[in-house]
Amino acid sequence: MASVAVPKRSPLSEALKGVRLSAADYGSIWSWIATVDHKRIGILYGVSAFVFFMLGGVEALLLRVQLAQPDSGFLDPDAYNRLFTMHGTTMIFLVVMPMSSAFFNLLVPLMIGARDVAFPRLNAFSFWLFLAGAIFLNASFFTGDILNGNLGAPDAGWFGYAPLNLREFTPGHGLDFWMLGLQMFGIASLAGGFNFIVTILNMRAPGMTLFRMPVFVWMTLITSFLIIFAMPIIAVALFELTFDRLFDANFFNAEAGGNPLLWQHMFWLFGHPEVYILILPAFGIISAILPTFSRKPLFGYAFVVFSGIAIGFMSWGVWVHHMLTTGLGTVANSAFGVTTILIAVPTGVKIFNWMATLWGGSIRFRPPLMFAVGTVAMFTLGGLSGVLHSMVPSDFQQQDSYFVVAHLHYVLFGGAIFGLFGGIYYWFPKFTGRLLNEKLGHINFWLMFIGFNLTFMPMHVSGLLGMPRRIYTYNGEMGWNLWNQMSTVGAFLIALSVLVFLFNFFRSLRHGEESGPDPWDARTLEWSIPSPPPEYNFKEIPTVSSRDAFWHQKYREDETGKIVPVLAGGAVDDEAPEDEAEGEHGHGIHLPSPSYMPLIAASGFPVIATGLIYDYALVPVGFALILIGFFGWVLEPATEEE
Amino acid sequence: MKQLLNRFSPRRLGHLVPIFVLLALLGLFLSGCDTDTPQNTFDTKGEVAEKQAEIFYIAMWPAIAIMILVLGGLLVIMLRFRERDPKYVPPQIHGNTRLELAWTIAPAVLLLAIAVPMVVTIWDIGREPSEDAFRVNVIAQRFSWEFQYPEYTDEDGTPLSVFDQSGFHIPAGREVAFYLESVDVIHSFWLPKLGGKLDVVPGQVNVLWLRADEPGSFSGQCAEFCGLDHANMTMTVIAQPQDELDAWAAEMLE
Ligand code: HEM
Ligand SMILES: [Cu+2]
Ligand SMILES: [Cu+2]
Repeated sequence: MASVAVPKRSPLSEALKGVRLSAADYGSIWSWIATVDHKRIGILYGVSAFVFFMLGGVEALLLRVQLAQPDSGFLDPDAYNRLFTMHGTTMIFLVVMPMSSAFFNLLVPLMIGARDVAFPRLNAFSFWLFLAGAIFLNASFFTGDILNGNLGAPDAGWFGYAPLNLREFTPGHGLDFWMLGLQMFGIASLAGGFNFIVTILNMRAPGMTLFRMPVFVWMTLITSFLIIFAMPIIAVALFELTFDRLFDANFFNAEAGGNPLLWQHMFWLFGHPEVYILILPAFGIISAILPTFSRKPLFGYAFVVFSGIAIGFMSWGVWVHHMLTTGLGTVANSAFGVTTILIAVPTGVKIFNWMATLWGGSIRFRPPLMFAVGTVAMFTLGGLSGVLHSMVPSDFQQQDSYFVVAHLHYVLFGGAIFGLFGGIYYWFPKFTGRLLNEKLGHINFWLMFIGFNLTFMPMHVSGLLGMPRRIYTYNGEMGWNLWNQMSTVGAFLIALSVLVFLFNFFRSLRHGEESGPDPWDARTLEWSIPSPPPEYNFKEIPTVSSRDAFWHQKYREDETGKIVPVLAGGAVDDEAPEDEAEGEHGHGIHLPSPSYMPLIAASGFPVIATGLIYDYALVPVGFALILIGFFGWVLEPATEEE
Repeated sequence: MKQLLNRFSPRRLGHLVPIFVLLALLGLFLSGCDTDTPQNTFDTKGEVAEKQAEIFYIAMWPAIAIMILVLGGLLVIMLRFRERDPKYVPPQIHGNTRLELAWTIAPAVLLLAIAVPMVVTIWDIGREPSEDAFRVNVIAQRFSWEFQYPEYTDEDGTPLSVFDQSGFHIPAGREVAFYLESVDVIHSFWLPKLGGKLDVVPGQVNVLWLRADEPGSFSGQCAEFCGLDHANMTMTVIAQPQDELDAWAAEMLE
């Protein structure tokens, strides 16, 4: 029996195999921790991002209470500064970006007809490293004397300008947590960016040419390219800052001949592409919702795609519009003023395309559509105030005033967040099998829409009345009181709308109306499979012969040119392929096995970071974890024999 | 007729309520900007602020027009093309190249048109201060300002130096050149009624010129987040006729 040909398995590897198999049971908690399934990773991203959304929201409410009246003593200046820094950092890096990642993960494979992303374990690694960075960043709160009300979070703003970010001016460990947490987050985003580029370029179903891809997939592709080029820039800036803060280097220290503006150049050379990283996914989402609910294809697919590509290129040539008042001179200001004005063109074109998509349609006023139209409307306002900013001379008055705060919230909240909410309402049934309640959805939308405008519209005025950003208090004589009161009331309306959403979410998870595979009569492939999709997504990889592939399975033109349903053959609603006969692992589809290695590798990073701050002895421990994770990852079988 | 009545039925008009609310709010905001509050950027009291406000208006009116066009357009589309028959599938129109080119080129032309006066103004107010400008060295530190007056020196030749945050004096009707220096982090020097801000960057000297047309008192504050007490890094600048300024300086030097 005991033949030499069979390699003897060590008890350790047998035990490890046992652990892995326990994770393969698609219901246990371990199966979530070790998952490499893009749909589950998407859900993990979405849920984490939403938790941080609420955290960032609470921070915002505290800020708004403080500003509700002049000379308020609700927060002390130290707490205020830490909270606004964490609010901005959280909303950008821990909410909008991961929420977009959630949609990339959930949708891209389904939309292009693939069984998973190109590198499933790298995908899990991205998520865990993002979460590690996010928790690490928030752990900074506890570095202060929190029991006595002293928070320990970073306090130099989300943009952390030099030389304020140096140890001399911002002692305390908060900023160390910020720079190292962001570094982790950047690595996670880079891995995700490469993953989606490879997935989209290589894993499309037969017939899914680039120009048959849904716009959402295009926007994912462009965003991913922006990520892989933008993230390294901030990584370098953060490395230099790390050297300045921890090892007494002098990159940004003017006294020692360093250059504080170097930080700003790097930050905004990353930062402006970053704003498109934040908005393009939402553009992709509404480019899916508007056609479905007006029952028309997207108007001018090519224009929308090419303007997205144009934005991708142009966004590298406008960063100085964040530095117009730093004294770079008239030549730089003129050049960047003009490029900034011009980037409004590819951004604006899309608005007209979306309006033309609705025009002539048969518009169904369901919650996803409300949010999508809300996005178009609010983003328009944000884009217009962006153009006002790009008028360099008047921007000298607006820069670092509340007018900028209004602009950035119209694009980021009115644009990105509204779009993401629309996406949640739209695809919730796909991944849960149930619809979110419609009435509550409308209440959610209107509360949020009114609250949003009540919060941010008055900030245009307070900004033009000379109210600077990032002040924890103001004098009652300045004429800003009314506008600030309005903003604070509005902020609580937004909070209420989020509570309505949460209630709706949890209620509908259990009691929501069952949706079936295609509740909206939608157009893209993800609706052709059951809800929730089986682990392997597609029983048979579809063959694609047109844009809006699923629509063309359902409808055709009759002799008179009228659009009529295809009666037989098409996979309409109840005829969607069910997989009773085949069983769960039907057709011998091989899926990658769950793995703990991504989590182990990711967990090394916060250990290193903690070590850098507190005790170098931890640094090798962290490296060891990373090495164990990566070696295990390489050595374990990608697909488990059964 | 019935159709017409239907068109103006209270239910239909109900849809217009949001528009009225929005217009009312717009009115409120525009009137909010028409006040003489201390840092109102529209209540200009100097050449630079005036030119900057003009540029703002040049872009603001087209922006408001486009806003009304897009929001109004969306509303009309939503009402006119709302679903009437759940079975109806509209014609599948994929685009219209001419139309799309038009709405790409039109905004590009409009934007380039407003870019012309913008660039002109950049060079106009971005010029070096004139020869006879009154020089003030501004030294920013966390969280206060210091004004030094090289034109007024004591017997030893040290310039007059003022730390009183509510009593910085400048001449009215004459160009003032502010030489901005920071001893610590980046600050931003901003006197809204006289003109936009310029950052005060350690390691370099930025020069900003402004002119107060009339005597008066102007409120300003640091506009770049500089740490704990950034919010209270405020100042009041008093513009007065040259002879009064000279008298004030002589008194201060004593
Ligand atoms: C029509 C296109 C846009 C134009 C012309 C534009 C222009 C500008 C300009 C000139 C500034 C600097 C204002 C200042 O600090 O004085 C700015 C700030 C900002 N913009 Fe935009 N923008 C546009 C679209 C967007 C989009 C799509 C986003 C994000 C989704 C965005 C997010 C931001 C943010 C976050 C800031 C503030 C950064 C900070 O100082 O913290 N913008 N924008
Ligand atoms: Cu920008
Ligand atoms: Cu300051």
